[in-house]
Amino acid sequence: MMKENYRTISNTSSICPICMKRLPARRELKGRDVFLVKECSEHGSFETILWKGSPESIDYQGWARPKIPSRPKLSFTEVQRGCPFDCGLCSEHRQHSCTVLLEITKRCNLGCAFCFADAGTKKLPDPDLEVIKGWFERVLLAGGPYNIQLSGGEPSLRDDLPEIIKLGKSLGFNFIQLNTNGIRLAEDPDFVKKCKIAGLTSIFLQFDGTEDDIYKSLRGRPLLNLKKKALERCVEYNIGVVLVPTLVPGVNVHNIGAIIDLALNYLPTVRGVHFQPVSYFGRYPEPPADNDRITIPEVIREIEVQSKGLINKESFKPPGCENALCSFHGNFILMPEGELRPWTKHEGCCGKVEKAEEGAAKARNFVAKYWSAPEKLGVSLGAGGGAFSLWDSFIERTRTHSFSISGMAFQDAWNLDIERLKDCCIHVMSPEGGLIPSVPTT
Amino acid sequence: MSQGQDKKEAKSIACMKCQIPMELGKVEVFYLNNKFPIELLKCPKCGLVYIPEELAIGKMLEVEKALEDK
Repeated sequence: MMKENYRTISNTSSICPICMKRLPARRELKGRDVFLVKECSEHGSFETILWKGSPESIDYQGWARPKIPSRPKLSFTEVQRGCPFDCGLCSEHRQHSCTVLLEITKRCNLGCAFCFADAGTKKLPDPDLEVIKGWFERVLLAGGPYNIQLSGGEPSLRDDLPEIIKLGKSLGFNFIQLNTNGIRLAEDPDFVKKCKIAGLTSIFLQFDGTEDDIYKSLRGRPLLNLKKKALERCVEYNIGVVLVPTLVPGVNVHNIGAIIDLALNYLPTVRGVHFQPVSYFGRYPEPPADNDRITIPEVIREIEVQSKGLINKESFKPPGCENALCSFHGNFILMPEGELRPWTKHEGCCGKVEKAEEGAAKARNFVAKYWSAPEKLGVSLGAGGGAFSLWDSFIERTRTHSFSISGMAFQDAWNLDIERLKDCCIHVMSPEGGLIPSVPTT
Repeated sequence: MSQGQDKKEAKSIACMKCQIPMELGKVEVFYLNNKFPIELLKCPKCGLVYIPEELAIGKMLEVEKALEDK
């Protein structure tokens, strides 16, 4: 039933958050806000904020990046009940993998109030190296190698992590990233060294803020010093780091600018900040109201305001890989005098239709290039003078001081849009060897 | 490309619009918010700039490739 002042923009499908039955759903505009609206015959009507607009923020209708879908090279499951019930991926999926998450343990050394993986609650044995080898081979079978993220639980709890990294490398996976809370990295430098030698390319570091109150609220204990120590280890062993804050309204949204400032102080080791607005699946304190959520235009607006205008919304664009409504990113170079110069290329926007698989390939290359540590060179390029010395020093600066600011809005049973789900390019390997559109685990 | 080669070309390249010889002059090339001051052949009358092939497929391409967006 249409409510007053609401206008249906488009139709999609979702599920009932109570019985999980598939339902028709509508994207409805009210003022500058967009809601997902659906009705379950048994459990009633549900309305969830998708896009909270304002006169200063990005307009929903302009945030688009249409793609020609690309079916998986090999589907592991058949279409029987329809999305999301045949997942694995099925032949109705519309995007290739960019990154595949391997959950190598369910154990965790934190007990966070919010945990997308609901880790640490069940005592399950870790998969052994043979099982993990089978997962890597499964990714190759699906069309890989793709970028790999080792996740959990807390994957650094595995003493054989260096062997797992080495195994992936030997099978042709060149980009292997560790998704971690950083505690072991801070406390065990020898372990970091072994991971680096094994070929660890990048670290996706849970980093919710620059204040201990934030950690106490989200993670149950003060962690800032440990996080900084983990960063120092990565500096020492030259491993690229992406800081990953889970953004929760009322907890750390005010800290967005300070997180970016801290990240910039750790360049070139820290390669970017990747914000994850909170989603309500896994473990969370209680079902969400709309003001428990923060949407993409609000995150971009906060970046703009908290950077005091140094970073503006025009520097951000929708993704070429996943659905436009799933993420945003902007690229910058930190210049020697401290200016953060944007270089986001806006060629893939404005109604131009792109091939989804080309977007996936570009995203894989981008992540591998800009989320890894830059190689340390013995000579400084661009120092030789000549007509092109400025060009050369700029090129060298792009290599060492590129910085990305991005964010990904994950979905839960309330805001699930099945069109977005079908466009997902980040897939988690299920224990049975299926590829499932992913949830974050920080 | 070297500046020396530029100077040789200065004698032989005329502006296609004004048909007068181009001269070396200071030019600022902008690319993705970045300014690169450089000396290039320029028409003294209309200001048209000649970008030699070596620059277009050399340094410019190098910068373009260095910045790979997704």
